[in-house]
Amino acid sequence: MYEKHLMICGATGCLSSGSYSVEEALVEELEKQGIKDKYRLVMGGCPGFCEVGPIIVVYPDEVFYCRLKPKDMAELVEKHLVRGEIVERLLYKGPDVDVPARFYDSIPFYHKQKFNVLRNSGIIDPESIDEYIMRGGYRAFTRAMGMDPALICEEVKQSGLRGRGGAGFSTGLKWEFTNKASGPKKYVVCNADEGDPGAFMDRSILEGDPHAILEGMLICGKAIGADEGYIYCRAEYPLAIKRLKIAIEKAEVYGLLGENILGYDFNFKINIKEGAGAFVCGEETALLASIEGKRGMPRPRPPFPAQSGLFGKPTTINNVETLANIPLIVKEGGAAEFAKVGTEGSKGTKVFALAGKIRNTGLCEVPMGITIREIIYDVGGGIKGGREFKAVQAGGPSGGCIPAEQLDLPIDYDSLNQAGAIMGSGGLVVMDERTCMVDLARYFLSFTQKESCGKCTPCREGTKRMLEILNRIAEGFGKPEDLDTLDSLAISIKDSSLCGLGQTCPNPVLSTIRYFRNEYEEHIIDHYCRAGVCKELFNFRIDEEKCTGCTACVRACPVDAIRGEKKEPHEIIQELCTRCGSCVEKCRQDCIMITQVGRKADVSN
Amino acid sequence: MERFIDHCCEKCTHTKSTPCKDFVVCCVEGPICHEDPSCEDKRKAIIDKVAINGQFVIC
Repeated sequence: MYEKHLMICGATGCLSSGSYSVEEALVEELEKQGIKDKYRLVMGGCPGFCEVGPIIVVYPDEVFYCRLKPKDMAELVEKHLVRGEIVERLLYKGPDVDVPARFYDSIPFYHKQKFNVLRNSGIIDPESIDEYIMRGGYRAFTRAMGMDPALICEEVKQSGLRGRGGAGFSTGLKWEFTNKASGPKKYVVCNADEGDPGAFMDRSILEGDPHAILEGMLICGKAIGADEGYIYCRAEYPLAIKRLKIAIEKAEVYGLLGENILGYDFNFKINIKEGAGAFVCGEETALLASIEGKRGMPRPRPPFPAQSGLFGKPTTINNVETLANIPLIVKEGGAAEFAKVGTEGSKGTKVFALAGKIRNTGLCEVPMGITIREIIYDVGGGIKGGREFKAVQAGGPSGGCIPAEQLDLPIDYDSLNQAGAIMGSGGLVVMDERTCMVDLARYFLSFTQKESCGKCTPCREGTKRMLEILNRIAEGFGKPEDLDTLDSLAISIKDSSLCGLGQTCPNPVLSTIRYFRNEYEEHIIDHYCRAGVCKELFNFRIDEEKCTGCTACVRACPVDAIRGEKKEPHEIIQELCTRCGSCVEKCRQDCIMITQVGRKADVSN
Repeated sequence: MERFIDHCCEKCTHTKSTPCKDFVVCCVEGPICHEDPSCEDKRKAIIDKVAINGQFVIC
């Protein structure tokens, strides 16, 4: 028996902020004191709060330590583990708490979350199959083995689960199609090709709870009559792949993968296919082509994969998060329990990756139907630096932006579609008033344009033309008719592209025009970028009334473009200024304004 | 018995090649095919080693 359990976040976010070094320092300190064997150290899954990583949670004391550094470990060991006192300075502190918060229940980031998919993340050792079983793992699969396949499909349908990868198609219905398809050989494919910029939901699930995916695939295999599965995971996720390989190996040793599983006439094997990171391979037919060893390009449908998928055989393709929900649904009474959470058309929870100008970046799992305001302000802690919320990009490059006027929009598939966005896989990029919406649309379109496989003309050529127009607008050469041209091109591309990439890539442009048309018009007519992003369309100027001559901006300027005596108002030499914004970041008086080119008046609103 | 896959006694026969239908349930609630307090304790010991506040077993 261990005296205490120390769960160190071993997911990519915390690893990149130094959790390996923290773990090394902790082990070193415990060994120095000769007490290492008393404590169980686990590099576990992600507790979600990446903003404050590296994180260690100490059980059974229930203490959440964050923003840790290797040098903190001596104090943590001496004070907490040896003397039993909490190290207050390492607890969570933020503007949303009055006193340092000790555990999950006192940290506002977690208050509105509900853990279904992330139920084991940060709780178990992801490399231990025993711990997964202790948490109820493989129970649903055991139950499924005794069920009629059609009944499994029916239960998944009844739960209301919709695909978490983007389109939101009924998972049970998808399974039913493959179940009804004829043929002795069928496949289950797990789509782990998470490619949206800023999204890492699937990676965290794979890293924190890999057996949940294997169990979901096994249940799907039983339901559709498949004996083989593939996990298509991008090679940039080495930790996820490592943990999946360990999980598969252990499940094979335990007789949960292989032949005559649990004594039933059911065989199932799982292969991992590492993808090279092409965004289009997240599209199901391109993904299948890539597994088959061909170039990752989509093909027209029908036939749909349920009829003719991998190697021409009936195939069900589900996203990581979808599969992680399956064990919860197929356990005894699980479907009804699952359906209790969420809205009429969108059941269960959704995992989102919070990124951008938000205070609490990280991963959150919230019930469907929660409003954007609750996610941004209650979970996300509001906007960094106390700035104004401007919009949120939901659904990555295929999604759309939702403006401040729609903060009370409930998050579900249908509401997001009506607002011009999509659920997508769950990326939420938050923007403040310093984000230029023309530049945002340009960024996402540039991403999808580069990732277009080139097979169909509307996507290959259309995105290029749209990008040319956006570049022109951002550089000050926009024409009044450009907005109509963009709109018309976008609709054509959506209507005539071969796959989901082309059919959705104009969404960021369409939604920014819909909600921020005035910004486009300012770029085109006034040659002005109010956010101070498009460098040809604004100047920085110092407000002489406010400037105290502190010289902070002078020291920050990398090109010596600011002149002025100490304690006297300063001036920016426009001919030298590169508009990098370094001075704005350093100015304590907030006296550097964004103005129109050639104009000295304050139009910085 | 260090892991659930290890046999508690000769009465347990679950292996990859001789699978038992009750294996998963047996890991946490077993033994199921026979009654033996010491076999029960062996399973409990595996759980107790890593249990956190008794919250590990939720089924």
